Amino acid sequence: MLLQLNNIFKWVNSGGQRIFLLKDINLEVQEGEFISVMGPSGSGKSTLLNVIGMLDGFEEGEYHFLDESVHNLREKHRANLYKEYIGFVFQQYHLLDDLTVQENLEMPLLYKKLKGAERKAKVADMLDRFNIVGKKDLFPAQLSGGQQQLVGIARALISNPKLILADEPTGNLNSKQGEEIMDLFKQLNEEGVTIIQVTHSEKNAAYGSRIINLLDGRMI
Amino acid sequence: MIRNYLKIAWRSLLKNKVFTLLNIIGLSVAFGAAILLSMAGFFDLSFDKFHENGDAIYKVFSIWQNPKGQQVSESHGVPLMPTIKKEVPGIEKATRHLEEEVIISYGEKEINMEVSWVDSDFFSMFTFPVVKGKMENPLEKRSDIVLTEEMAQVLFGEENAVGKTVQALVDGKDKPYNISAVVANIPENSSIDFEVAMRFEEEASYQENIDAWNSRYHSVYLQLSKNMAPGQFDPATRSLIDINFAERIASAKRDGALPDTDGRFYRFELLPLEDENFVRFKNGALEVLRSGPFLVLGIALLILFIACVNFINMSVAQSGQRLKEIGMRKTLGAKRKQLFFQFWNESLLVFLVSLGIGAFLSVLLLEQFKTIFDTKVSFDVIMTPTIILFFAVAVILITLLVGGYPALLLSKLGTLQSLKGKIELSGENRVRDTLMVVQFSIAILLITGTLVLRSQLDFMRNKDLGFNKEQVVSFPMDGKKNSYDALDLLRHELAGNPDILEISGADNNLGYGKDGSVSKSVFGFEYKNRVINTHYLTVDYDYVETLDLELVAGRNFSRDYSSDRSGVVINEAMAKEFGEKDPLTAYISFNDSIRFPVIGVVKDYHFEELDKTIQPISMMMSRDYPLFYAYVKVAPKNIAKSFDAIENAWAKIEPNAEFLGSFLDENVNRTFRKEEKINTMITSGSIIAIVLSCIGLFAISLLIVTQRTKEIGVRKVIGASVANITFLLTKDFLKLVLISFLIASPIAWWFMDEWLQNYPFKIDLSIWFFLASGMLATIIALLTISAKTIKAASQNPVKSLRTE
Repeated sequence: MLLQLNNIFKWVNSGGQRIFLLKDINLEVQEGEFISVMGPSGSGKSTLLNVIGMLDGFEEGEYHFLDESVHNLREKHRANLYKEYIGFVFQQYHLLDDLTVQENLEMPLLYKKLKGAERKAKVADMLDRFNIVGKKDLFPAQLSGGQQQLVGIARALISNPKLILADEPTGNLNSKQGEEIMDLFKQLNEEGVTIIQVTHSEKNAAYGSRIINLLDGRMI
Repeated sequence: MIRNYLKIAWRSLLKNKVFTLLNIIGLSVAFGAAILLSMAGFFDLSFDKFHENGDAIYKVFSIWQNPKGQQVSESHGVPLMPTIKKEVPGIEKATRHLEEEVIISYGEKEINMEVSWVDSDFFSMFTFPVVKGKMENPLEKRSDIVLTEEMAQVLFGEENAVGKTVQALVDGKDKPYNISAVVANIPENSSIDFEVAMRFEEEASYQENIDAWNSRYHSVYLQLSKNMAPGQFDPATRSLIDINFAERIASAKRDGALPDTDGRFYRFELLPLEDENFVRFKNGALEVLRSGPFLVLGIALLILFIACVNFINMSVAQSGQRLKEIGMRKTLGAKRKQLFFQFWNESLLVFLVSLGIGAFLSVLLLEQFKTIFDTKVSFDVIMTPTIILFFAVAVILITLLVGGYPALLLSKLGTLQSLKGKIELSGENRVRDTLMVVQFSIAILLITGTLVLRSQLDFMRNKDLGFNKEQVVSFPMDGKKNSYDALDLLRHELAGNPDILEISGADNNLGYGKDGSVSKSVFGFEYKNRVINTHYLTVDYDYVETLDLELVAGRNFSRDYSSDRSGVVINEAMAKEFGEKDPLTAYISFNDSIRFPVIGVVKDYHFEELDKTIQPISMMMSRDYPLFYAYVKVAPKNIAKSFDAIENAWAKIEPNAEFLGSFLDENVNRTFRKEEKINTMITSGSIIAIVLSCIGLFAISLLIVTQRTKEIGVRKVIGASVANITFLLTKDFLKLVLISFLIASPIAWWFMDEWLQNYPFKIDLSIWFFLASGMLATIIALLTISAKTIKAASQNPVKSLRTE
């Protein structure tokens, strides 16, 4: 078992009223799964993803990731945990504009304090694997959306995460580019990476092994 | 990692070229100005600190009570020093000290030098290292003379000066002296300054004053032994005062002087050597005041502060653009510490570059700075370990604080919020506004200071001093001739010149001449059973006419009455001192038999600097005392020609003496050097402060306009006019300036009021000074931001909406 959410509640207080973002979420994810989270706008998909990614907290409930109880962890340990095991892919790619492709890929390794030679090897490996060696010295603005997302995924993968969290990874791409990205996800999943993606599209959801539907913060 | 940080820092700085440039310009100027100003400040503070025994050396000053209150003096009579040495325990060494000028000649050369007349202990007390000649006690014999390297070079060139014999003109006669040693040139930060040092006993008036306790004309320095505290000096000298000052104390009691809290009428106290440069006499007390150098350091700090505020404000305001980066880096595993270091690195880069440029600027501008600010500062005087350490610590602290604050702020943002770019740094706006208010308060404070200082200076410059300062040239009568003979020769030389109106002489100058020396002679006498003190001026015929002093009673000295030689002309203040209904019945008595009647009274005129009230003065024509300055009144036309004529005439009379003549208005202006120095300092400080504040304001307006582009678009679509929007954008800034004005004005008022208290003749501190500086600040602020705001307001709304 990779992670387990038990009775997760998340809310905000607005005008004296408690507005629930997540309500009693129970979820168990095994290693090697490919889960698609679906639901209308505002149903809490992204919130759920952020909670799983430990970017966001929650008010009630238990969250176990591997052997750790995330709800009891301090901020610093939590950060160490997701740094080690989780990779993020965003709809807006979120590449750093000031850095080249190569440097963008290298950055997570820098934060993990890997040695120079090791970093170079891994970056080269990744560029190779995604067929973007020729683009390594370009800046994100010089790439198409699909290429940027490719770099985004490569960056998420570079530190060998156990889990990839993707928030509408194809949302800003045209259908052909989107298909390519989804194929890539499927391939990664087959290589053993656990993936949780948020998506609006039935077609993309079908790539996954399991679909979770959310409505008003509840799983249905 | 470091390389990576540097690379990122470099790129992000390049990306925001405008802000980086504004930051670097602002910080460089501030660092440059701060380096120069703090150098000047530290230089002033370093005065007299280079003496190895400095901690144990003290200057003796006396405090006495007279009917008008308390008075202090650093001048003493010749017998005091030997008596102290003999009778007071714990005195290791002692020297008298008198600065004068003396003509030293060697072969053909004849040079007027600054001499310090001192006792033989002098060179073992003070650290003026001997470079050649006798190391131990160089002034052992009365025929010894010590030269500085510079003067040895002037007299002997490359030849060895030690052992040579030079002639010194003492008491009108050349006398041989043997050069026993050459000392290093006197450091610029020394209060004691000389070109030659000679034994005190050799000074012209030594013999006649050898037992005269009443004739006080030199200072006394003591070096105390370790077990003697300066506080013990007063009690230890009481018995010698009771013996030697009995008469004086008795007359003080008779005239109604009140004893001090210890019941004493006369006492001695000690002033630490390192306070000497900061001492001033005020209301009969010594005041040690280091506010001058601290004011300079304060201005340096304020300028630096303004530039740092700019940096912080720009960094924080720009952070909006970097939210995404921060969030992304965090999801990629950046720790807070790592982010902090990344941003701090950027600041560090900017700071180091600015510091480099600033240091370069300060080296480049050092010479101009020294001239403009009239300071002798140099890098080698300043380069002591303490000061270098201070600078290093200051730089590290500033980068840490100023660079660290925005870095800290950015690194602690939440991951998710920053990723979404949703963070409103509205709390930080308060910090920004506060900083800007402080910044503008400083600017307004400095502007007010500038305005008030300037007005006071103008007021003093244009004040009617009671004598003719435009048409009168004065110059020192240096040379070997008897001064009265020299003056007669001058009259003779210039006799046929129609532009030369009057010629006279006196033993003191008005204002500071080019020779830069001032003196003051005061004496007291008994008049109808009380003591009257008066300034004393030896004059020649025509002094009143030459200076256009106004006679209010009696007449001036006249060649027609030979008895005028023993008459006296006084001023109104002196007449008041006499208290006679008809001042012409009064007289000055030197003893019971010799009385000098008052023959004339002149209207009060400012013979001293304008920060003093007009004191009683008595002019006498005694030919026993030499004149030191000649005064020549010229016709208002052909002024330059007349000046040359005087110079030529003097060159004929004393070919070896340098002509140091100047018009009295120049001399008077020279007395304002202190004010002018402060004035230039504050003026340039306020200009820099304003420019820097404007840079900051400009940058902030740029950012705010960008942030509000959408709002501006929406408002325009709804129907707001360009004027509406410009007003909207300007309003917030004006509010800040207004608050600054309200804060700065009372502070400025307090400071300026304090400062003006130093002057008995002063301007009124009217509200207009404050309103004017407030207006000035407002106008400058408006101009700075208007360019950007008007442009933003007149933009096509569709365009501004599309940018969202």
